[in-house]
Amino acid sequence: MNLKEWVFTTDHKRVGILYLIGSVAAFVVAGIMALLMRAELSAMGPTLTANPTTYNVWLYAHGAVMILGFQIPALTGFAANYAIPLMIGAKDVAFPRLNAFSVWLFYMGVILALLTFVIPDPPDVLWTGYPPYSTITTGNTALYTFTVLLIGFASIIAGVNFITTIAYMRAKGLTWNKLNFFVWSILGSFVMQLIYVPVLGTAVLLVSFDKYLGTHFFDPTMGGDVLTYQNLFWFYSHPAVYVIFLPFMGIIMDIFATFSKNRIFNYKAAVYGGVWGIVIISGEVWIHHLYVTGMPDWLRIGQMVTTLMISVPVGLMTISLVGTLYKGSITFETPMLYALGTMFLFLVGGLTGIPLAVTSLTVNLSETYYVVGHFHYVMAVAGSLAIFSGVYYWFPKMTGRMVNETWGRIAFVFTFVGANVIFWTMMNVGVKEGLPRRYYDWAQFPQVAHDQMVMTIGSVIIGIGFAIMLLNWILSAAFGKKAGDNPWESKSLEWTTASPPPHGNWPKPPVLADDWSPYAYAKR
Amino acid sequence: MSTLEAAHGGEAHAHWDTSIWPFVLSFGILALTLSFTLQFVYHLSLPAVIALGISLPLILGGIAGWTGEAMGTGEGLSFASMGWFILAEAMIFVSCFAAYWFGRLEAPVWPLPGSVELPKALPVLMTITLVTSSFTIHRAEHFLHEKNQSAFVQWVLITIALGLAFLGMSGFEWNHLIHEGFTIQTNLFGTVFYSITGLHGSHVLVGLGIFVAGVFPAMKGNLSPGFWRTAGLYWHFVDIIWFFVVSQVYFW
Repeated sequence: MNLKEWVFTTDHKRVGILYLIGSVAAFVVAGIMALLMRAELSAMGPTLTANPTTYNVWLYAHGAVMILGFQIPALTGFAANYAIPLMIGAKDVAFPRLNAFSVWLFYMGVILALLTFVIPDPPDVLWTGYPPYSTITTGNTALYTFTVLLIGFASIIAGVNFITTIAYMRAKGLTWNKLNFFVWSILGSFVMQLIYVPVLGTAVLLVSFDKYLGTHFFDPTMGGDVLTYQNLFWFYSHPAVYVIFLPFMGIIMDIFATFSKNRIFNYKAAVYGGVWGIVIISGEVWIHHLYVTGMPDWLRIGQMVTTLMISVPVGLMTISLVGTLYKGSITFETPMLYALGTMFLFLVGGLTGIPLAVTSLTVNLSETYYVVGHFHYVMAVAGSLAIFSGVYYWFPKMTGRMVNETWGRIAFVFTFVGANVIFWTMMNVGVKEGLPRRYYDWAQFPQVAHDQMVMTIGSVIIGIGFAIMLLNWILSAAFGKKAGDNPWESKSLEWTTASPPPHGNWPKPPVLADDWSPYAYAKR
Repeated sequence: MSTLEAAHGGEAHAHWDTSIWPFVLSFGILALTLSFTLQFVYHLSLPAVIALGISLPLILGGIAGWTGEAMGTGEGLSFASMGWFILAEAMIFVSCFAAYWFGRLEAPVWPLPGSVELPKALPVLMTITLVTSSFTIHRAEHFLHEKNQSAFVQWVLITIALGLAFLGMSGFEWNHLIHEGFTIQTNLFGTVFYSITGLHGSHVLVGLGIFVAGVFPAMKGNLSPGFWRTAGLYWHFVDIIWFFVVSQVYFW
């Protein structure tokens, strides 16, 4: 193995694996932040630290690194890079050097995020960076800005690259309606990235301008407006949920098809109604993050309607998931277990989101642990389990070896149980006690002592699950049994080349027959 | 049944493609962000200058090396992809204009206290310059198709000169306004005026950088039609954005 051919690589598979290593490292760091916070909250009063600002830095690092360093790069970086060119029968992406530039910009962003732990006055602005706090804090807001900018720019150029790749580099005979669902979901995701990421980049840049160059974008005394930031920020950051959601739906949809040996039920509805429905509606719902910051009723009610409308495309995709299982010959290997777990956790998270969309309920639930529990069900556990199901699924292709099934299943049980223990309890204390989120301590809520301890135990369980999983991957990559080209007996194109695939993917570009489909199982 | 013509033997290529330049360029960008942080957050000027001194050669060298390596080796898809990149670029301008509109439409009085009367003749002249440069680059592309290298290079150089003239006028205007006491810190209008014209100016600068990066290989006979079509599209975009800047910032 030649180190130079890894560091300076332009091959999409190696870039994908670099993305995977970087994002999993970010996941571990951000996960440790979560454990520190849970340990701090396990008992009343100062537990690990007596300094609330330290807690704020953990909170910042957990949120920013999980979203920007782990979920988005793992899905639109790793999964897209590794699978898309293989799924569409291309020898690489459209611009391989640009692709290498994306991954290294992402690493530079991660380096900036990790500087949080070594510099004086680290950022303490959550992952949202709201002014006026972010412009007056002694914390280093510039570091937050640059972390977002570098990773955001990496996303934009990856978006340009992948949209071009999918549009122009499909194998001969691979028409749009024969694409894997995952390819569609990545396409939708990158279209959203191109539209929304620049807005986030601008918002966080203007915050640093205000703080360090003395501008007045968000300064009401000089004609600026604080709410401008919240609007710009959520104009990106709500669609960011769908940037994460679409590829994770794509991964589990493909896994469902493979392990049910079945076509995707209602494929066109899931693609044109589901994926593109989300892309279209995603830009009209961001104001629901501002329900309690004050706005006229017509706007609040309009946003409630658009927010609830998101259920329609999501529902279409969920129907496709269930319909794909129906009458399939289902097997329960580890990737499928994680994918099923994703679907369950996503259903809980999605359904508990509906009360939050309803303005009359959200006034009471806003800023409580209910919100935290809800979005952790969707983002943290459904999103992560989907990413990891993708890693398990493509692991034989990447390494040429199988993951140990037994330990894979044990890891799944720990993760799934731990996730529900923490986040169900979290929603519970949010609704019943109105426990406010983000606080360093809960001295005014002695009645939640028991629940806090339960959540901390849950975090340890989920931590054990993830630790077993990572260890299993490392050991299986070295010592696992040989996989062969197509261990899951999938019909999808990526399984027709060697494991791991050579540079250029296929000796000759694949040409597809008229009746080829990635889901042509029924005709077996 | 589904058939794949390609029988795969798992025969790996002898070597994997590599390029050092993306790596160099990203380190340059990291050093640039650190330079800003050292200067403006920690007020450490010497380390900031050192970081800048590391950053600029890496960035410029990275771009030069990248261009030299890639020029003429397959920009077939770059024109199509530039459209998507422009979508992202346009959203940056939309965000800045949104910040401006939010502030302006909610302001109890406009112009805000401290604002000055902007010159009217200069922006018209700047508009004419930039629009002319869009025509000259179009002219250059025409000669590119006719494989007339010398005329092509000549028209590209004229375009570069017009772009520089535009930036010069913008700099002159900034200098003039700053001397009148109207700065980026004066009020929201100062903030958006310098930010939006500065953002647009930086795009002009990037466009000029693309032309300069391409014109040296072109002088040596390395004419890449894909590159120039894409660069031209970007330049037209910069031109169109200027109409929004002029109408919203100068003449509203």
